Amino acid sequence: MWNGVGVDEDDKLDRSGVTTVLRRSGEFLRPYRRQMAIASVMVVAYTATVLAGPLLVRHGIDEGIKVGDTDVLNQTVVAYIVVAMVAYVVYRVQVVLISRIGESFLRDLRVRVFDHLQKLSMPFYDREKAGVVVSRMTSDIDSLSELVQMGLLMFVSNSLLLFGSIVVLTAVSWKLLVLCLLAVPPVVLASIKFQRESNVAYLDVRDGIGNTLSHLQEGISGVRVVQAFAREDVESTRFERGNRRLYDAHMRSVKISAWYLPVIEIAGTGTTAAAVGIGGWWVHQGDLSIGTVTFFVLTLSNLFEPIQQLSQLFNTVQSAGAGLKKLYELLDTDVDVPERAGAVDLPTGGAIVVSGLGFSYGDGTKVLSGVDLTIAPAERIALVGPTGAGKSTLAKLIARFYDPTEGSVTIGGVDLRDATLASLRRHLAVVPQEGFLFNGTLVDNVRLARPGATDAEVEAAMASIGILDRFDSLPDGLRTEVRERGSRFSAGEKQLVSLARAALADPEILVLDEATSSLDPGTEAVVEDAMEKLSSGRTTIVIAHRLTTAARADRVAVVAAGSLAEVGTHDELIERGGHYAALFSAWAGGQPV
Amino acid sequence: MVKQAIDRGIEADDMSALLRWSLVIAVVGVVSGVLTGMRRYLAFREARMVEKTLRDRLFAHVQRLHFAYHDEVQAGQLMSRGNTDLQQVQAFVVMIPLTIANGMTVVGVTAILISLDPFLALVALGALPLINVVAKRFGTKLFPSVMAIQRESAELASVVEESVAGVRVVKGFGAQDVLRRRLRTEADDVYDASMEAARTRATFLPALELLPNVGLIAVLFFGGHRVVTEAITLGSLVAFNVYVVLLIWPLRMLGMIIANGQRASAAAGRVAEVLSTDPVIVDRSDARRLGPGGGEIRFEHVEFAYGDGDAAIPVLHDFDLHVEAGTSVALVGATGCGKSTVGRLIPRFYDVVSGRVLVDGCDVRDVRTTELRRSIGLVFEETFLFSDSIGANIAFADPDASIEAVQRAARLAGAHEFIEALDEGYDSIIGERGYSLSGGQRQRIAIARAILADPRVLILDDATSSVDPTKEHEIRDALAEVMAGRTTVVIAHRAATIALADRVVLLDEGRVIAEGTHEGLLETNARYREVLAAVDDSAGDQAEEVTA
Repeated sequence: MWNGVGVDEDDKLDRSGVTTVLRRSGEFLRPYRRQMAIASVMVVAYTATVLAGPLLVRHGIDEGIKVGDTDVLNQTVVAYIVVAMVAYVVYRVQVVLISRIGESFLRDLRVRVFDHLQKLSMPFYDREKAGVVVSRMTSDIDSLSELVQMGLLMFVSNSLLLFGSIVVLTAVSWKLLVLCLLAVPPVVLASIKFQRESNVAYLDVRDGIGNTLSHLQEGISGVRVVQAFAREDVESTRFERGNRRLYDAHMRSVKISAWYLPVIEIAGTGTTAAAVGIGGWWVHQGDLSIGTVTFFVLTLSNLFEPIQQLSQLFNTVQSAGAGLKKLYELLDTDVDVPERAGAVDLPTGGAIVVSGLGFSYGDGTKVLSGVDLTIAPAERIALVGPTGAGKSTLAKLIARFYDPTEGSVTIGGVDLRDATLASLRRHLAVVPQEGFLFNGTLVDNVRLARPGATDAEVEAAMASIGILDRFDSLPDGLRTEVRERGSRFSAGEKQLVSLARAALADPEILVLDEATSSLDPGTEAVVEDAMEKLSSGRTTIVIAHRLTTAARADRVAVVAAGSLAEVGTHDELIERGGHYAALFSAWAGGQPV
Repeated sequence: MVKQAIDRGIEADDMSALLRWSLVIAVVGVVSGVLTGMRRYLAFREARMVEKTLRDRLFAHVQRLHFAYHDEVQAGQLMSRGNTDLQQVQAFVVMIPLTIANGMTVVGVTAILISLDPFLALVALGALPLINVVAKRFGTKLFPSVMAIQRESAELASVVEESVAGVRVVKGFGAQDVLRRRLRTEADDVYDASMEAARTRATFLPALELLPNVGLIAVLFFGGHRVVTEAITLGSLVAFNVYVVLLIWPLRMLGMIIANGQRASAAAGRVAEVLSTDPVIVDRSDARRLGPGGGEIRFEHVEFAYGDGDAAIPVLHDFDLHVEAGTSVALVGATGCGKSTVGRLIPRFYDVVSGRVLVDGCDVRDVRTTELRRSIGLVFEETFLFSDSIGANIAFADPDASIEAVQRAARLAGAHEFIEALDEGYDSIIGERGYSLSGGQRQRIAIARAILADPRVLILDDATSSVDPTKEHEIRDALAEVMAGRTTVVIAHRAATIALADRVVLLDEGRVIAEGTHEGLLETNARYREVLAAVDDSAGDQAEEVTA
């Protein structure tokens, strides 16, 4: 039943997948083996108590009531009370233990996966869609927690109950059991059929829900566009169509369980009827006691209910298994930019030397080749060039977001691949194009760049680039909470926070990716001023989108078609009349005077 | 019936009676099984229908609700109305037939038990109401823990989302450890919340298992003694046991249903709140057609504020503006001066507080909104594209538009070239599961969308802000062509875009403070220079340098 028909590729688990998942899960669970042993004992004990109830009733009827022996009856009742109390305690301990093991497992898994995600470098994030990465940590682990919180206990105890019932029934009367087991093949067949069909239906429903919700989401967040084009009715009709499909998928899945559940119920009652009828016949023959028949009727529910419950659990177990497989695969993803054994710290005050640098993607697409460039300490250099020419790639290689495929980047004579990652991050900070704010206060956001910094140090850093007053004047000052990704701050203000982070990190080398989109004029001036202050006295590599920025740099490097076309000061390059001069006149010509 | 079979068949050793009763049990089993299946089917059909209908109505209603409503209410809130809230309503509706069936089972079984033996019935049922009480308490105690788990999981998810969305910041500053610590805290919180829920389950689940046993034990004890004293038959005793077992599930369910019902009614209330909000911008009963015209726009003494009462934020005061048909005007001013608002009043996204907005001589409140909006092309400051093909996005205003029309619009917006370069061209799906385009590319598609239907009025709200400056001149040429002979309102920061307009209107604090050409204002108006200065200061200098 593991290889259910209709499960999509993502959710498929083959035999080797199952083995891997089990082996890796075993490794994760090793610290909890003692607790697991205790839990297993508890589960067995609890199953025994559940099975003991009907046995005691049988004993009471056959040995006590029928023969009129009230002592036996009383003893049985006392025994039943004891069993019930033991059952209570055992069940309780079992729930707590299994939850603790399961939740600890999930907690460890979350921490381990996230740690690994943090270790993975930029190429990974460029390759993978953000939504997919996030879903590993959310929906994949959530599908496990459903199993841990309810399913696992149900799975284990139902399996045991099923097994135990068969054992007990065999012991009491194997003949009657064989009779009852005649109902098992149809139940199992029905369960397999149900399992297959409901799997297909489940995927249908899941698709339907996904589509309906994303349509709903778009309808809400795009409502202004819809109204602007007066398309409310058309969109509503479209939504109704998708919603109708979801309804139909729901109904298909209900139809499946609507035939399955009666089959199980009928099998259950049919077996009861058979047990009473044929059992009665055997009582008549003198082969069985009435107590045994009563006992059978009571225990039969222990036989059929677990089958039904287990079949409903298969989807959960299967999707949990698939989720685990994906998580383990993620944990096995190699870090693209690893730290070499015996790596050394970067020296301070060294020049950046780029020699013979080349980079191509895994599929062989060449982005950059043969770049030679030396950047002196405290020099400010602007990288310019058309979109896609490779200027960002060059900056990323210098920051070691990627490793080059040819040539090398050295800082103070040390190849970046031989340097410790920690010393590289101390020496060099990258300020991305878009200012991104995390949940928390403004202070926390700046402090991200140097976790140990005091509030005073954060304020000093902001003051050093001239932006402290702007944020301090907010009603809550630097304690202002950033909500919803900083929606209450303008794009420019977000960039300022980003620059403040760099000021706090206080690196020797700064890589700045200038924003392409324009800001409102007032803020733009403040941002430029802050950038200016920040870069003074530091080696600065700025990916310039505005040629005004380039003009202010000490030197300009023009990247065109994957190689370095020109390097020189603004004036030199204008004079030379090459790439840069052409770019500049095209751009400046468009700026009305 | 089991009792009858045992008493009349096995006890009395009457084989034909035994056979008869066994068959009756089997038949009743089949009938009840089929009926259970039908009940389940019908219950789900009703419940899903309710969910579907409500979701359709919710969507249609949200589509019609005015801008001001959407300004106030977060998208996430509306999402959960249409998602979790409706699911809770559905989950309750589906329980109704089952609840009725369960109630009838409880009443019926109780009646049978009392008729069999009132004393034993009292003994057997004495503990059962407790199940209901315990189940209900279980529901109410578990609910907060479950909510806590959801809350903590959501917080954990937001740390993960942030770490991925902000990965450039994290890597750029080497902030991995900070996030790692944050996640560890959240993972611990999720663990604690889950264990809290587990402890609640550990207290109540065993009790729910134990309580029915109390009844069974009592029946065995008292009933057993009564059988021995021959007050009742053995069959009655066995039947009693079976009936008591029958009651366990319905009673347990009742507790759950009560807890569900409370949640569902709260959810239904939240959905009703949205549905009962009336759209403010609606057509008058005597709304007319928009007369013919070239798209002349006139604002007369317009007062406007966002929100109302004490919370109102005044934006426009005694605002007058006249844009002649076929001409273009650029609205310029510092952030918050009201220039975007002007663009939003023309398609009647909001109603003015006083004064009038006229398009081709008609007050926008007097014409059919659909028609008014269809004759206006609009590009928003924040580009929103649908998860659909590029072609479908451009043809949003008119899905039946020919591919030639779509390509013509794309060409005018300077988007045709990059669209063609994609593997699937105009059929490329964009959005979450498709291609991700750059801000500038998205904006160009939005411009193409706005001009597809050849609107008489075009409103460009900062339409070129995300376009890469090195590409800006390309789109500028395209815009110039689009604007030629069309009434256009441009809201812009960049001087280059502003210069495309025939005329510039400078706004400050909700009023027009100067009008003229770009060059004229640049020369004569200090405030205008001030507003533009910051961006174009250095650019101007450089340009001068080059030309000099």
